[in-house]
Amino acid sequence: MIVEIGHYALVLALAAALILAILPVIGARRGDAAMMALATTGTLATFWLVALSFAALTWAYVVSDFSVRNVWENSHSLMPLIYKYSGVWGNHEGSMMLWLLILVFFSALVAVFGRNLPDSLKANVLAVQAWITAAFLLFILLTSNPFLRLDPAPAEGQDLNPVLQDFGLAVHPPLLYLGYVGFSVCFSFAVAALIEGRIDAAWARWVRPWTLGAWTFLTAGIAMGSYWAYYELGWGGWWFWDPVENASFMPWLAGTALLHSALVMEKREALKIWTVLLAIMTFSLSLLGTFLVRSGVLTSVHAFATDPTRGIFILCILAIFIGGAFILFAWRAPMLKAGGLFAPISREGALVLNNLILTVATATVLIGTLYPLILETLTGEKISVGAPFFNMTFGLLMLPLLVAVPFGPLLAWKRGDLLGALQRLYLFAALALVAGLVFYYVQNGGPVMAIFGLALGFWGMFGAVADLWYRGNFSKVGLVVGFRRLAGLPRSVFGTAIAHFGLGVTVLGIFSATLFGTETVVEMKPRATVDAGGYSLTFDGMREAVGPNFTEERGHFTVSRGGVAIADVWSSKRLYTARRMPTTEAGIQTFGLSQLYVSLGDPMEGGGIVVRIWWKPFILCIWGGALIMMAGGFVSLSDRRLRVGAPSRKAKTVKATLEAAE
Amino acid sequence: MFLWIILALLTAAVAAVLIMPFSRRGMAAPSSHAGEVEVYRDQLKELERDRAQGLIDAQQAEYARAEIGRRLLAAASEDGAASSEAPKQRSHALVAAIVTVIPPIVGLCLYLTLGNPNLPDQPLEARLANPGNNIALLVAKAERHLAQNPNDGAGWDLLAPIYFRTMRLGDAEMAYRNAIRLLGASSERLAGLGETLIATNDGIVTEDARSVFEEAVKLDPKNPRSRFYVGLGFEQAGRTVEARAAFEAIAKESPPEAPWMQLVNQHIAKNGGTVAPNPDTDTGGVPALGNPTQEDMAAAGAMTQSDRQAMIRGMVDSLAARLKEDPNNLEGWVRLVRSYSVLGEKEKAEEALKSGLKQFPSSGELVALANEIGLAVEGSTPNGVTQ
Repeated sequence: MIVEIGHYALVLALAAALILAILPVIGARRGDAAMMALATTGTLATFWLVALSFAALTWAYVVSDFSVRNVWENSHSLMPLIYKYSGVWGNHEGSMMLWLLILVFFSALVAVFGRNLPDSLKANVLAVQAWITAAFLLFILLTSNPFLRLDPAPAEGQDLNPVLQDFGLAVHPPLLYLGYVGFSVCFSFAVAALIEGRIDAAWARWVRPWTLGAWTFLTAGIAMGSYWAYYELGWGGWWFWDPVENASFMPWLAGTALLHSALVMEKREALKIWTVLLAIMTFSLSLLGTFLVRSGVLTSVHAFATDPTRGIFILCILAIFIGGAFILFAWRAPMLKAGGLFAPISREGALVLNNLILTVATATVLIGTLYPLILETLTGEKISVGAPFFNMTFGLLMLPLLVAVPFGPLLAWKRGDLLGALQRLYLFAALALVAGLVFYYVQNGGPVMAIFGLALGFWGMFGAVADLWYRGNFSKVGLVVGFRRLAGLPRSVFGTAIAHFGLGVTVLGIFSATLFGTETVVEMKPRATVDAGGYSLTFDGMREAVGPNFTEERGHFTVSRGGVAIADVWSSKRLYTARRMPTTEAGIQTFGLSQLYVSLGDPMEGGGIVVRIWWKPFILCIWGGALIMMAGGFVSLSDRRLRVGAPSRKAKTVKATLEAAE
Repeated sequence: MFLWIILALLTAAVAAVLIMPFSRRGMAAPSSHAGEVEVYRDQLKELERDRAQGLIDAQQAEYARAEIGRRLLAAASEDGAASSEAPKQRSHALVAAIVTVIPPIVGLCLYLTLGNPNLPDQPLEARLANPGNNIALLVAKAERHLAQNPNDGAGWDLLAPIYFRTMRLGDAEMAYRNAIRLLGASSERLAGLGETLIATNDGIVTEDARSVFEEAVKLDPKNPRSRFYVGLGFEQAGRTVEARAAFEAIAKESPPEAPWMQLVNQHIAKNGGTVAPNPDTDTGGVPALGNPTQEDMAAAGAMTQSDRQAMIRGMVDSLAARLKEDPNNLEGWVRLVRSYSVLGEKEKAEEALKSGLKQFPSSGELVALANEIGLAVEGSTPNGVTQ
């Protein structure tokens, strides 16, 4: 009965979403307060209905109700409890439910926290959210219904895909979806602004927390997914330029651009039309990512099921929302008033450069992802676009951006002084170069480019420190007053500095792990020893072990340095009994920020086994940097105050040509 | 009935929430630009704070104040223009009707087509507590017991033949081996293990399987079943003399009317021995059920459409016939139901489904297949419908 209540709640949510999709828009048009207020109460009702439905599905998983087909297909009564919970979204139907739940959750947040919004804007935003909600509800109910039943019920389920039986599944999808779906709010704001035909600095102020929140979660979600793939799949890599990864990376790039352009719009009311376009693009890329992953166009661990009707349905959703939004944009955008003016060298100019590079980078990734698919559809030829393409294009694009990052926060709004910024930064640039050299010397033995790459990482980190240093004016006023000045700064300044610092840390980790890492593939017999990264690994043999729903063969390795044993590493090959599916569990030993990664291959004749050993120096910086970026996002999100771009004090002497923003 | 009451309450609650905004009276619409004005005032305050703390100098602040002031003025003046229209009192009868009627209509129409209101929840714990005579549930219950007490040999011993009969060969092998490890070898267990190994290898008596049977013979020299498989192993390995000796030994010690004599005699003949006459012979090999052989496939390639149809039909019929003789083959039933539905014979498919389900009650594969191709599953919910 609980399951059926959940099913009915989902159907009822569709009815509510349909009402919400239409009436508030009419209300906003006619200035009808009651019809606009309907958007708020209705959104909350929809949220509770979907939450009820999701809870019912979760309940079915937890009690192993195999009369629910979705539970039978993806669960097993002997699975540990945490995987019964996370298994809810470890399959196509359930993950769409999670997507929907987060979507209505964001709608509900807008309904509750949007009290300061003008009524008509709020009503329109919530109505656009309701369109998306209704579309996904229809998709779930008609093509991916998790509440379909089996009668009579089987006695045991078919188990969750073993690769997904991991803590990562409990964290990665919710974070990623919080990011993906969070951008739907920005999209709805943009479409609502286009419907109203009016947009200004206040709009950017209202959108900002949503962009920031979505971006923060997406950062965490991507980093988490990357780390999960790194330790679970046993390939020893952390990013593969796999289409599914790219699908989540593209909204991140566009979202990063949006974050920065919204800043310009809020402070100077410039870049209005561009910001609206970016907001639409970002969520479109989220939808495209969903389509690529869910339609079965791509085969990967994410594509739980392939069903052509689903693909066509998602394609329709995609066409309606993206196409519709762009048509609306083409029609309405020319009516929007252009905003403030600024010189090419200014904070705004730097942010435009940021946007330019990020947008081109997004386009690069998009082409690299879609081109093989399109080529295969048109000619049947299969090609794979991998790391070389992305390193050449995306990598080269990122270099100037990374160089420019520390300059942005130091330039003044409206008219900046590049020379002044350069003068203030040369000390830090020199420091970064020295740090890169020292790092290179200590690690010793990479190509010449390495110094540049490492320096780039340190440059990002020191640049962030420099930003705070000059804002505190430490060099003139001394430490005490400097810190007092820092304490008076708005949190968003710290958020910027922290996030930029995190970017530097990630860049450092990427260069270090790529340039100084080693990979060894050897056949090892018991008592054999291999050296990696200054440590030696001794293989002690294999042992059998039994888990709750798997059996495994574990290889034991002793890690020693200078003849002294300092750590044990277990690396294993598992066989999940219900699905008869083997997986590898890599053995990972962490030393500071570096890791030793051991993965077992096939056994050879004569008692040996193929072992792959990677030494990954400073690899944790990659994800640590992402975590720091996330922390920056949260710090900035906690800043409720607003700052205003003030023109430079040299305004009278500099006769810079002012350019219209758009 | 209880379910319907809850669904009705849920619907009513949603309709009530949606109707709420229309029942309030005289709600004055606040001016649409109040929010913006608020934001700009906030920005001005912020500017003032910055100036007071010395974060920006007076001149910068002046410029910024002028810019914000312009935005503030623009917002405030639009506000004045907008608020000159008096808010009209509107009637919401039509809207209220829509809001009240849509949830129950959409809800009921969709739910009645998609939902299963008569199917109760079936949490596994509750079903295991009261399994009735549902074999699958009894097996699941035994499995749970064994997961916690993996050293209960009697449990494995009980489960092993059931696994074998339901074609869960991997599990059967594991169960037999556990039973043998915990309770010691007996000729019954060894023979069961041997048969499992043979079934796993599509009827081939592997080296492994033969040594298992040989051990069984050692424990119980009179057991014709084990001795037969030892002989079959020799036969398949091409060791005709040993094979014939084994079969002849069985024949000598068995009463002539024993049910296995016919099969034994066939094998004696096959290995070049002479048999007491018994002419009605049957097939002896153990090919995988219903699978086309290599030659069949090659022939199918060179056939016309109608010939091919006939051959497929022939294969399906032979599969059906074999399943009638040996119904303990889940894979076979699934394949048969699917074949009939592909051939468009819905009644036969239903019949096959029913027979399959009789043999394998609540097999998820069969039920899922039935739901997929739109067949009704009879005799649903063994415990009876409670609503």
